[in-house]
Amino acid sequence: MKIVVFISQIVNPQVKLQGVDYFDSSRVNEDDLIINPYGKNAIEGALKLKEILGADVTAVCSKGLKPNKALREAIAMGCDNAIEVADETFYTEDPLILAKIYTNILEKIEEFDLVLLGVEEQSTSSYATAAMLAEKLNLPSVLYAEEIEIQGDKLRVGHVLEGGRKIVEMPMKGIISCSDSQFFIPRYTTMKGILNAKRAEIPIWNAADIGVSASVVGEEAASLKQISLSNIVIEKESFIIKEGEPEEQVDKLLAKLKEDGVKLGV
Amino acid sequence: MKMKALIFLQIREDLVEENTLGILNKLIETNPSIEIHGALLRDQIKSEWVEEAGKHGVKKIHTVKASELEVYLSIPYVKSMLEIIKDIEPNLVIAAGTVYGEDLIPRLAVQHGVSCAERITDITFDSGEIIFHSPVRDDQVMKATKIVGPIKFATTRTGAFFVNENPSGSSPEVTEVSVTFDEDDMVVKHIEIKKAERTVNLKDAKVIVAGGRGVGGKENFQIIKEIAKLLDGEIGATRACTDVHWIEETYEIGQTGQSVSPDLYIGAGISGAPQHMSGIKAKTLIAINTDEGAPIFNYADYGIVGDMHLILPILKKKLEG
Ligand SMILES: Cc1cc2nc3c(=O)[nH]c(=O)nc-3n(C[C@H](O)[C@H](O)[C@H](O)COP(=O)(O)OP(=O)(O)OC[C@H]3O[C@@H](n4cnc5c(N)ncnc54)[C@H](O)[C@@H]3O)c2cc1C
Ligand SMILES: Nc1ncnc2c1ncn2[C@@H]1O[C@H](COP(=O)(O)O)[C@@H](O)[C@H]1O
Repeated sequence: MKIVVFISQIVNPQVKLQGVDYFDSSRVNEDDLIINPYGKNAIEGALKLKEILGADVTAVCSKGLKPNKALREAIAMGCDNAIEVADETFYTEDPLILAKIYTNILEKIEEFDLVLLGVEEQSTSSYATAAMLAEKLNLPSVLYAEEIEIQGDKLRVGHVLEGGRKIVEMPMKGIISCSDSQFFIPRYTTMKGILNAKRAEIPIWNAADIGVSASVVGEEAASLKQISLSNIVIEKESFIIKEGEPEEQVDKLLAKLKEDGVKLGV
Repeated sequence: MKMKALIFLQIREDLVEENTLGILNKLIETNPSIEIHGALLRDQIKSEWVEEAGKHGVKKIHTVKASELEVYLSIPYVKSMLEIIKDIEPNLVIAAGTVYGEDLIPRLAVQHGVSCAERITDITFDSGEIIFHSPVRDDQVMKATKIVGPIKFATTRTGAFFVNENPSGSSPEVTEVSVTFDEDDMVVKHIEIKKAERTVNLKDAKVIVAGGRGVGGKENFQIIKEIAKLLDGEIGATRACTDVHWIEETYEIGQTGQSVSPDLYIGAGISGAPQHMSGIKAKTLIAINTDEGAPIFNYADYGIVGDMHLILPILKKKLEG
């Protein structure tokens, strides 16, 4: 069994760049880059299946600055291989373009069974790529998975649903997007993994290697056009107590609530 | 130009799903001349759903009735929607961003060779152009986009649009579309829906004290319960907590849990994911989180950056004393 996991590298939401500055790549340090947290959930899913089925897991990153860093971490977690797919023409802000890039990567990888992705990209809330990829490849798929179970030659997947959870069955060859449920909580890297990651040779593929060009994956080709990014003005003032001993903090909060006439309790 | 919109009419718990009705209200408010069509796919079509959709502004309903559509599954639903789209050639295809809506729309977009706008909280019409507005970066930034192509596809964020309380629409015209399915359409099989038990109704709670993953374990929910009790309130939780059974599923709040609108919401150890926050409309929100950068502080009126395991026992003591 061969599992491919697509991850992306994002700017750590914890970084002190507020509002639109967050999206200004010239302000970002390399240290601020992390694997999209849901991508780590997908890696965890792949590694769990690997333990049961003896699968070979390949992590692929083709979105975000310095994908190599993300891929070394994926190997340190336990992935067997990694591929960096980067090209300055890639316009990855459009989920359909990203799905196109992923389609061509999978065509070049050729042999694969399951494809895992995170449920969304945390910083942009973009979730559509997984469904788009499934549709492009005409593969069965399940979004928002919370658990995966193996049942003979099929997968039983439980996914998030309004009002509960839904269980479906799908073939092993397909696409699943993974949530941050308990099942997918990412493991830590190990010493052995970190050593593997240091030694790993990570091939770099560019647009030509996967058989695409700017006319299909560049910004001009995107059907989703960004018109503007603007800061959302938060009208309400918030009173956040950042410093102090816990007791002082509680006193401050209660005093302020009293001052503002906010009733605690009914 | 007169616009034609097609909305995916989702049925949940035997009713037209709330966010779906909210979209209808929003479309009519922002573009009164828009012609709204609805797609209703199911094994059985109830006249109540048709009437409800009509009341909220749908002029024409296109139904596909088949046993394969009893429960949402991507392939048969996509196939049916494609037939309807082919028939009516809408300018806009839109669905509420539920689990099903978010599954359906991107696929339909791919079939038309275009992308889609995701989780919009606003839609505007500017001289024949449709502009979509989606919040990003933990709701600090609004992204405006448009789609180049004859049909635009979009999902909305749940909780974004309000339902019109006094709708005045009339009975819609109904057209039945026939679609046939084969075995290949059913490769993903529905096994079961595990319905969360809703034993406690949080809708009318005035005070809610809620815990998230930061609570750290089942036994630690005790302090949440005690404070809720002191304040004559209810408890609440994130899906992260109900997923691991630290607390009963009934207390889940958010897109897939209950919607609440208390006067006071205290959230401890909760990061503030949009799927959780979209279920909360609180007059006053207090957040307690060790991480100063947690998005919940963007929504909070008051907050303490600190360890809930230290803060809550002190808070409890002071409330008692
Ligand atoms: C389609 C879909 C629908 C969903 N619907 C819902 C829904 O309806 N409701 C819902 O809740 N979720 C829902 N989710 C899940 C949601 O995306 C988040 O995963 C979930 O809300 C996170 O829960 P959390 O904030 O408890 O956990 P985390 O995001 O893990 O946050 C835990 C927080 O606790 C803080 N913390 C840790 N220790 C402490 C401490 N000692 N003291 C104080 N703070 C501490 C951390 O800093 C962190 O911010 C949905 C997901 C999907 C994909
Ligand atoms: N967006 C949705 N559309 C339809 N059914 C849904 C949706 N989300 C959840 N469900 C659930 O699917 C199950 C079947 O619902 P029903 O249509 O009432 O038989 C119920 O548990 C519903 O709550």
